[in-house]
This record gives sequence, structure tokens and C-alpha cells, in this order.
Amino acid sequence: MTDQGAVNTHNPWALYAPFLPVLLVFLGSLVFVLAKSSALERDMRIAATQNMLWVVTQTQMEVLSLTLAVAQPDRDDMQISQRFDLALSRLNLLMDGPQARYLEEIGHLAAVQDMSGALLSLDPLELGHSPDLHAALFDLGQDLHPQINRIANDVMTRDWDKSAARLDAYRATQRLIIAAVSFAFLAALAISWLLLRNQRRLHMTALEHMRAANLLEQERDVSAMYRDFAAIVSHQMRTPLSLIDSSMHRLARMGDDVAARDVEERRKIVGDAVGRLTRLVDTVLLLAKLDNDQLQARFAPLEMDHVVQSIMEEAQSRHPHRTLRLSCSGGSLVARGDRHLVGHIIDNLLSNALKYSPPDSPIELRVFTQGQDVACAVTDQGQGIAAQDRPYLFNRYFRGACEEVRAAGQGTGLGLALAQELAQLQGGRISFETWAGKGSVFTFWLPAMKKGGDHASD
Amino acid sequence: MKQAPRIWACAAALLTAWPAYADMPVLTITGAVENAPVALTLDELLDLPQHQLTTSTTVTDGTPVFEGFLMRDLLDEVQAQGDMVVAYALNDYRMEIPVSDFVDFDVMGALSMDGMPLNPRDKGPVWIVYPRDDHRELQDIRFDTRWVWQLVSLHVQ
Repeated sequence: MTDQGAVNTHNPWALYAPFLPVLLVFLGSLVFVLAKSSALERDMRIAATQNMLWVVTQTQMEVLSLTLAVAQPDRDDMQISQRFDLALSRLNLLMDGPQARYLEEIGHLAAVQDMSGALLSLDPLELGHSPDLHAALFDLGQDLHPQINRIANDVMTRDWDKSAARLDAYRATQRLIIAAVSFAFLAALAISWLLLRNQRRLHMTALEHMRAANLLEQERDVSAMYRDFAAIVSHQMRTPLSLIDSSMHRLARMGDDVAARDVEERRKIVGDAVGRLTRLVDTVLLLAKLDNDQLQARFAPLEMDHVVQSIMEEAQSRHPHRTLRLSCSGGSLVARGDRHLVGHIIDNLLSNALKYSPPDSPIELRVFTQGQDVACAVTDQGQGIAAQDRPYLFNRYFRGACEEVRAAGQGTGLGLALAQELAQLQGGRISFETWAGKGSVFTFWLPAMKKGGDHASD
Repeated sequence: MKQAPRIWACAAALLTAWPAYADMPVLTITGAVENAPVALTLDELLDLPQHQLTTSTTVTDGTPVFEGFLMRDLLDEVQAQGDMVVAYALNDYRMEIPVSDFVDFDVMGALSMDGMPLNPRDKGPVWIVYPRDDHRELQDIRFDTRWVWQLVSLHVQ
């Protein structure tokens, strides 16, 4: 945990606490906007249903109609009654509920009540139609007309005042709403930022964890490697050492009865053991140099057929009862490589072939050219390599799971891995083909020496 | 809404005071109806199933109790065929009302308010009343204009 932010992730409160005030601002602003806008909506709804000017105008019109009806030369009593009723109904409407309160506010309710009283005092239903009544109604109509006109005038003025005030209020509300929405927007931005920051912190923490886990894994691998290395090498050393030891004991026990044949027999066993030890030490030394970047190949032109020939003869002397065959084909078999490293690689391939094939089966060695490479193929007639082992064949410390390998009781799991690494160091490689129950071919490829150019010294 | 008891004694008394409405049709229905035009007297309107409706209005205080017939019952009675009704008031106020209003809501042709028969000096004899308090969507200026008072004729189209 090197990151300052990552430290905070231990405490979820630190991650999520900043959300609380921001969320409050966000939700608070939204609630405020909602309340304000719904109040606005309510107000507009009420404003829309109040239509006082229309009611007053209708009253004025009905009074005018009544006035006209009673002024007609051919007066129709029925029509006059109807007009009377309509005019009265409008006055009644003005004196009802919300309308009455409105008139009260602008100081006209008493006037309307007076008008209604005056009209009712000339009710044709009670007084009966007569020219006098009609004349009185005409005079009353003339009288009411300017009064209603004044009421209409005041209603209009008040409505305009109210509308203007309402518009002012709407505008103020609108400004508040815009401010609140801006707040909400800022809060939303803050929330997004917090979310991003938290995500980044969590991501960093995850990365840290991963890095730590990787380091741990690497350390484990390294220590396991050294453990394996030490175990394998010491085991592999013990076997030849005990062979030498037991041989010497036998000779010592024989005392003076030692025959030349016995000595020869023991000498051979000890020679083999020393050879194995030498190769093992060589392998370990090469590995150590390779791992510490101290291995420097000394390149020179190598006549591969001769190199292979000498290694094969050496192996033949160690295994006099095995059949080893060498065939060479192609023109120039000169490759560019380090004599010591190449010898080590071919010896390793040959040793493996001898180790993992029946004693009575032959080993074939072929040296040939292909493309820009000189190749050395070692063919055995062993059991082949199990399919599950093939991908790991060149891994260090890998030893095949098959019985044959186990039965051989040896192998460090280092030989092939080292051979491949050494081949690559020289610009070459090792490939293999294998057939279950029939055998394997391991081929060591090395770049051919270019004609006319001798870069042995580089 | 429940059937209103027929307490029309005072209605009869008032009707005698308005001889013009006693024997004359109060509501005329024209347009896409059987045997148009159909002229209905107050008695005939009272013969329709009577209901009660309590609701606030935009022009009165409180929640008056209205009694009268349902508009859809009236249209059924005259076998109206149409989507739209044009309502006319005594003062020639004209308002188009979709028939669907009467199907969707219990819209009433009110004949009395708070037990008092509506008369032409108020909002009578027929006032179209919507159940404003029962449905929020009816509390809208577009429906408020359909509360035609002093209704005298309907034209179905």
C-alpha cells in the first residue's frame, strides 16, 4: 500500500462519507424544485379558473338585453320575463361564493346587492307586466349600466395587477428553480467525481494487491527453485559417489587377492561415476554462469560431422554394448558455434537417447544441412514422450511422469532445459518429434557458417 | 351516488310560480336522436332515474349536494347516436361536450342543489354537473367550461 488513496480504502466510511452532504444537496435541490414548480402549477390552475371579467361582462350584457327588451315597441312579456330572469341570475352569480369575495375585495359587493334588490323590487312575476313596470325597468337598466361598467373596469385593472404580480412571482420562482437545478447539477457532478475517485482508488488497491501477490509468488518460485536445485544436485552427486565408495571397499576387502580383471572392472565403474560427476558439475557450472550472465560463447567454425563423431566415440566407449550409428549428408557441414557448448548439447541429447531406450536398440545420429542451418538429429527407439509431458519438456526441473523416466531413477530435469538455453545462446534451437511406443527424434539446429566470411572471433 | 327520494313537493309549488315552465318543455334534444327534435318537460326529466352527487364547484362555496339525472341515461332514453353533444344555454352560451365524458364519468343533469330546485334565476332548470371531487382530471379549466347552466337544448352529432 504505497498509494495515499489506497490507504483510505481500508475504511469504507472514508470512501462513502463525502456522498452524504452532496446527496443531500442534490436531493434537497430537487425537492425544492419539485415543491416550487408544483406550487406554481397550482397557482396557475387557480388563476385559470378565475374569470371574473367574463362573469361581469355577461351580467352587463344581460342587463343591456333586458333594457333593450323593455324598450321594444312591440314588447313580448314572455321574453321580458326571460331577460329579467337571466339578468337576475347573473347578479345572483356575482353574489355567490368566490365571486362575492372578489367583489368585496374591490369594494363593489354592496353595490351589486343593491342592484339585485332594485331589480327584484320590479319583479314582473310579482307585480305583473305593465307599461309602467317596463318603463321603470328601462330606467333601472339605464341606471345599472354605467355602474356595472365601472365594476368591469375595476375588475380588469385588478386582474391586470394580479397578472403582473403573478408574472413577477413566476419569474422569481423560475430564477429559484434555475438556481436549484444548477445546485443539483453541481451536486451530480460532485457525485460523479466521487464515484470516479472511489473507483480509481479501488482499482489502485486491487493493483497493489495483485502486485504484492505476484511478488510473493515470484519469491516462492525462486526459493522453490533453489530448494529443487539443491535437492536434485545433491541426490545426483550421491549416486556416483556411493558407486565409487562401494567399488573401493570391494577392492579393499579383497586385499592381496586382487586380480587385474577386478581392478579393471572397478576402474571402469569408477571411471563412469567420475564421468557422470564431471558432466553434472559441468551442467551446474554452465547453468550458474548462464543465470548470472557470465556465459560467453567463443564462436568458431565447427565441422559438425567431426564434432558429433568424437562425442559419439566417447559415448561408445562408455557404453560399449550399445549400437551407435552416424551418417552424414549434404555438402559443407560447417556451423558457427562454441565447441564446448555444442559438445555439451549433443552429449546431452545422446545421453538421453541412451538412457530412455532399450539396451538392445540402436541410436541413430544424422548430420545434415537444411536451409541456413546445420542439423544434428538423434533418433532413439524408446517409448516416446507422453503427450501431457511434451509442452514442459524444456522447462527446468521438469521430469517426465512416465514409468521409464522414473525407472531410470535419474535425471536432474536440468539437462534438456540447459541444452535448449545453450542452443539459443548460439543462435540455434532444439526441436523434437516423438511417436508413442516407437521413439523420438531430437534435432539440434545451428546456423551454418557463411562461406567466405569468418566471424569466428565475434 | 344513490337514488334520491322524490321530494318534489316544493318543486311543484315553485313550478306553479313559473307558469311558463310548468307546461312548456324545458329541454329540447335535436340531431342524431330518435324522433328528433325531442322536447322534454320537467316531469319527464324527473321520470329518469334520479341520483345524488356531492361536489365542489368553481362558482360556489362548499360542497353542495346535487340531485338529478345522469346525462348518459338521458341520451339512452332518446336513443342518441353520436360522439358529440352541443349544449346550449338560455343566454345562447354554446359548448361542445364529447359523449365519452358521460360514459367515463357520472355527469349529471342537476335539477336541484342542496334540496332546492334550480330555477332560471339561478342556474336552472338544468345544470350540467361533473363529479369534480371524485376525479382529479376533472379539476381542469377544460372541464369547468362544460358545466353548462341554464341548459335549454342539446344537439347530438
